[in-house]
Amino acid sequence: MSEKIAALIAAVEEDMTLEEVRKALGDGADPLSLVEALREGMAVVGDKYEAREYFLPDLILSAEIFKESIALIEPHLQSGNTTTKGAVVIGTVHGDIHDIGKNIVATMLKCNGYDVHDLGVDVPPQVFVEKASSTQAGLVAMSGLLTLAFDAMKDTVDALAEAGLRDKAKVIIGGGPVNEKVLEYCGADAFGKDPAEAVRLANRYLA
Amino acid sequence: MKKRIMLYPGDTMTAEERMKAVIRLQVPDRVPAVPCVYYYFATYSGLTFADLFDPKLYRRATMKLFDELGPWDAYNFFHTYYRELASFFIPMVTMEPGFELPASSIRQFKEEEIMRPEDYACIVEIGERTPRLSFYRIMMGFMPRIYDYIQEGWRSYAFVLPRFAAQLAYYRYEFRDWIDRGATLFYSIGPVEVPFDTFSLARGLIPFVKDLSKYPDDIRRAADALVPGYLFLIKATVNLFGIKRAMIDLHRSSNDFLSPGQFREYALPSLKLLVAGLKDEGIDVIMHCDGDWGLNLEALRELPAGQCVIQLDGATDIFKAKEVIGDRMCIYGDVPASMLALGSAAEVDEYCHRLIEEVGRGGGFILGTGCELAPNARPENVKAMLDSVVKYGYYDK
Repeated sequence: MSEKIAALIAAVEEDMTLEEVRKALGDGADPLSLVEALREGMAVVGDKYEAREYFLPDLILSAEIFKESIALIEPHLQSGNTTTKGAVVIGTVHGDIHDIGKNIVATMLKCNGYDVHDLGVDVPPQVFVEKASSTQAGLVAMSGLLTLAFDAMKDTVDALAEAGLRDKAKVIIGGGPVNEKVLEYCGADAFGKDPAEAVRLANRYLA
Repeated sequence: MKKRIMLYPGDTMTAEERMKAVIRLQVPDRVPAVPCVYYYFATYSGLTFADLFDPKLYRRATMKLFDELGPWDAYNFFHTYYRELASFFIPMVTMEPGFELPASSIRQFKEEEIMRPEDYACIVEIGERTPRLSFYRIMMGFMPRIYDYIQEGWRSYAFVLPRFAAQLAYYRYEFRDWIDRGATLFYSIGPVEVPFDTFSLARGLIPFVKDLSKYPDDIRRAADALVPGYLFLIKATVNLFGIKRAMIDLHRSSNDFLSPGQFREYALPSLKLLVAGLKDEGIDVIMHCDGDWGLNLEALRELPAGQCVIQLDGATDIFKAKEVIGDRMCIYGDVPASMLALGSAAEVDEYCHRLIEEVGRGGGFILGTGCELAPNARPENVKAMLDSVVKYGYYDK
């Protein structure tokens, strides 16, 4: 049954995935194994996206299916018994309010089992620092679409270092103009061109 | 007889002759340079971004940059002194410097649902009833949803049309500065978002993706229905300014947003209709293509040869684009924003040299910035980019 659910979400089949999840819950399936199956399916979606077999609409729709499925499963879960792969703090940096890319990355990280703390947009460096500290996050993900965001990314990396968090948390960056040069400028650990790459980087640093 | 002004001593063509030649995929005297500039006008002149809403300050800043770091071949303009007019072409909620944002911040867009799913059917109906006025009618309908102080119905026309007329008058006045200096206008109107992408912007990305899976045919029909309205708007502006070129924006059709199959099936048909309609009027098309277009290039071969320019922003491999589509359309780009903001003048010089040698081979190339010139670009980098067409860009040297 779990295999079927994983395959259906991987095929971005909304109605069939939800029907199968309902059926499994009705049959008394272990809710945790269903969550795991959904995550496995989402990992396949990520792989297909990286292979350019799938595109952004597939990521968005599969993440929606994931959310709807989790909403069905949640009442059957005892609180606190789901496992996470680690805490991630994410936000769009100070001075920039673009949120589509950041939201998709946050959703994909959640779908892949991370405990995601989304700070929203226009986030000052100190807010990143406070959240990274209070959640003991192993990963800080910053987004920015404006070239003016490069400085805010650098300021945030510097603020994390000043707070003594730089050896505890890896920092990844993303957004339209971000590349190797921007990475070097702001002193982060890695950059991702798309949501699948963000998940791959999280897996590398946290899993 | 009009005086033929040459921008550089080595030039044998005027900027306008050069532009026509590259779009026809012919070899000009040299590679033209056309940076896409707005906010950099402010930073270079020490103004705030909010100052650019002041026509006098804007005009002074444009000429200062052109005179000190230029010249360049064509004026790629996309400013409006009335903030509401920007939403007329990109129907999204905006936050502007000096209004919702500090004067030192640049415009940002909010992803909100301006358009509703039932609007697809309304657009088809409006397109059938009043094809030529469909663009105006749809956009006028969106304006009160974006700005709460614009009222519905005839009042939205009463608000927008006088500002539109005033803006056109400002343009006409400013264009003289450029023409007198030997540059040409890059286009008479632009940038106008193509119908398909308009829906993605007005609906918001995530609702639009869901629409695409729920009712793709309605989207396609609505996009086709809007084309006559776009043609009417573009033709009217071309008649006013006399340059037979239009810029259209494709912000949401790249492979970052759509699969190549979705592009071909849902976005390409209305684009082809629009380009064909403009071809009938002898109007060339500059396509501002944000994002990675690598897998869509082959499909773009279906557009008429020697009529279109594809502007790339650094996300598409421009060297591959030259191979795939360089025999069909002029390629324009793509010095990356990060290189102009963070790189050195030597790096910019080297990259531009490569662009001119490889993408400029055999003509059909315009050197430009990848999307808009970064507001925090280094002046020496901008200078290196503009100088490169004189250093390396002459075809007979």
